[in-house]
Amino acid sequence: MTLELDGLTHRYGGETAVDDVSLGLESGELLALLGPSGCGKTTIVQAIAGHVRPTDGRVLLRGADVTDAPPESRRVGLVFQRSTLYPHMTVGENVAYGLAAREISPDRRDELVAEYLELVGLDDARSASPAALSGGQRRRVELARALAPQPDVLLLDEPLSALDRSLRDRLREEIARVQRETGVTTLFVTHDQRDAMALADRLAVMRDGRIEATGQPRALYDDPPTRFVASFLGRSNALSAAVLGRDPLRVSVCGAEIALPAARVDAAAGTRLVCHVRPEDLEIRPTDADRPGPSVSGEIVDVTDAGRRYDVTVRTATGEELSVERPEPPPAAGRTVSVRLPPEAVTAFRADGE
Amino acid sequence: MSLSKPTGARRLGRTPELLVPAVLGAFVLLYFALPFASFLSRTGVEHVAAGVSTPGARVAIRNSLLTAPVTTAIATGFGVPLAYVLARASFPGKRLVEALVLLPLIVPPVVGGAMILTAFGRFTPIGSAAAAVGVSLTDSLVGVVLAQLFVAAPFVIITARAGFGAVDERLEQASRSLGHGPIGTFWNVSVPMARSAIAAGIVLTFVRAIGEFGATMMVAYNPRTMPTEIWVEFVGGGIDAITPIAVALLAVALAVLGVIGRLGRVPTVIEE
Repeated sequence: MTLELDGLTHRYGGETAVDDVSLGLESGELLALLGPSGCGKTTIVQAIAGHVRPTDGRVLLRGADVTDAPPESRRVGLVFQRSTLYPHMTVGENVAYGLAAREISPDRRDELVAEYLELVGLDDARSASPAALSGGQRRRVELARALAPQPDVLLLDEPLSALDRSLRDRLREEIARVQRETGVTTLFVTHDQRDAMALADRLAVMRDGRIEATGQPRALYDDPPTRFVASFLGRSNALSAAVLGRDPLRVSVCGAEIALPAARVDAAAGTRLVCHVRPEDLEIRPTDADRPGPSVSGEIVDVTDAGRRYDVTVRTATGEELSVERPEPPPAAGRTVSVRLPPEAVTAFRADGE
Repeated sequence: MSLSKPTGARRLGRTPELLVPAVLGAFVLLYFALPFASFLSRTGVEHVAAGVSTPGARVAIRNSLLTAPVTTAIATGFGVPLAYVLARASFPGKRLVEALVLLPLIVPPVVGGAMILTAFGRFTPIGSAAAAVGVSLTDSLVGVVLAQLFVAAPFVIITARAGFGAVDERLEQASRSLGHGPIGTFWNVSVPMARSAIAAGIVLTFVRAIGEFGATMMVAYNPRTMPTEIWVEFVGGGIDAITPIAVALLAVALAVLGVIGRLGRVPTVIEE
C-alpha cells in the first residue's frame, strides 16, 4: 500500500470536517475522491501532505507512519485548485525548485527539468515567466513541478475546477496520460463526477466527512450502494415506492408494478421505499404501442434541447415528475406518452435515509 | 429615432467624475509644495556646501549616517520575523502584541524618549549594568539608536506584516511539499513575494530614524545627529543657519528612497 489513511479524523473547533476515514491507494493507482464542496476532501489532502495535523487517526506513506512528520520530509506532490507557481522564478526555476531541496547534482537537475517540461509539452517555455503562460499551461507546469522530485504520491486538489469546459476536458486527458506514463500513485480530489468517472481507476464518494462508498466508477454508477451515491454520481430520478410482496421483491412505482429480483433491500409488504432510475435508462413510447414490461403513462410537461440529447420531463398520473433523456426529438409538450421502466435499471433503497 | 441621442446629450453636459476630489486634493498638494519651494529658494549651492562643511555639521551628518542604518538594520532583522509571525500565526494575546507594536506610534516621540530614560537611563538597573561594562545607553550613539528604534521600528513591522498577509499561504505549503523546510520557505518564497512591502517598510523606518528628533533629544542630546544639530543651529542662528544641513538630510532620505525602491522591484534570484 503506497498511501494509507487509518481512521483519519479532523475537527476545526467543534466542527468535524473529516470523520473516521480509512482509505488505501495501491502503487500506481489513480483514486478519485469525489464529494460535494465542504465534505472534507481538502482537509484529507492537507492531512496527507502534512499541512494539517489531524485530530485523530494516522497517515501512512509506504508503510511508514508520517502523521507527525513535517511536509518537507514526506514525498508528496501537490497541485492546488489555483496556481501556486512562483511569479519571481522562471518556469524552469519553478520545476527545479523541488529538486533543489534534494541531493541531486546540478547536471542531473537540468536533465530532470527538461524531462518533466517535455512530459507536459512545455520544453520551450523553460525560461518564460509563469505570468506569460495561459491558464492551461500553468496547470501543466505545476504538474511538472510536482512530479519532478518523483513523489511517492501525487495529490491533485480540484486541479481542473478553475478552468472552462473545453480546456478542462483537454487537461483531464493530459493528466490521465501523464499519470499513465509516470505511473505515479495519484489521489484526485474533485466535486465533478464527470472528471472523477473519466479519470479514476477507483472512486471514493465522500459525504459530510465520511466515505460513503468506494468501488469501480462504472459499478458505483450502475449499481449505487446508497441513495446519495445514486443521486450524486450522475443524474437520477428518485421515486417513492411501496412494497407489494417479497421473494422476489415486488414494488409499486408511479402506479406500475415492478419485480426487482436483484434488489438488496428486503422489506415486508407495505414498507415505503425509494427507487432510483437514471434518465438515460427510461424510454418514451407512444401510449398505444405494444408494451412489454412495466411502464407508466404521463404527460410531457417540458422539453429541453441539451444539444446532444433532449431532456424531457414527464408528469405521471400519480403526480411524480420523471426526467428522461432521449437522443431523438421527443413528442411535443402536452402529449400523453408511456414511459418504460426497465426493472434492471431500478435500484431500491429504504426510504429512511440509506 | 436613435436611442443613443439622449445618452450623447447627457455625456456632453457631464462633469468629469474625478473633478471634485481632484480639486480637493490639489489644495493638499499646494500646501505640501509651497514650504518646500520657499525653503529651498532661500539657499544656494555655495551656501549649502559651506554650511555642511562646518565641523559641527560634519559630525552630525556622520552620526546620522552611522545610527540610522544601524537602527534600520536592527528594526528589519527583528521586525520582519515578528511581522511574519503576526501574519501567519493565531495565538492567545495576539491582539495585545499587535497593540504593543502600534504603541510607539501613538506616543509622542518626546514622551517615548522620556519612557526610554525611565527604562534604560543611567540610574536604572539596565542602564547602570551597561555602564559597568563600558556601554552608555544615554548620551551616546547607542542612545541615539535606542531612541530611533523605538520611534521608527513599528513602520517596517506593520508594512511587512501587510505584505506577508497578502502572500497566499498555499504558495508556502507548495514549497514545504517540494522539500523546503520552514526557514527555506521563508527565504525562497515568503520574503521574495513580500519584497515590495518589506522594501517600503525599510524606507519608512529609515527616513523616520534619520529624521528622529523628539526621542533622540531626550535620550541623547549629545552626540548630535542631523535633527538635533538643526535644532541647535536654529536656536542660535535662525532659518538661514539650518538650510544647508536640512537640505543634506532631505538628500540622504531621497537617495535611500530611490535605492531601496529600486531593489524592491528587482526580482530576487533564487540561488541553486
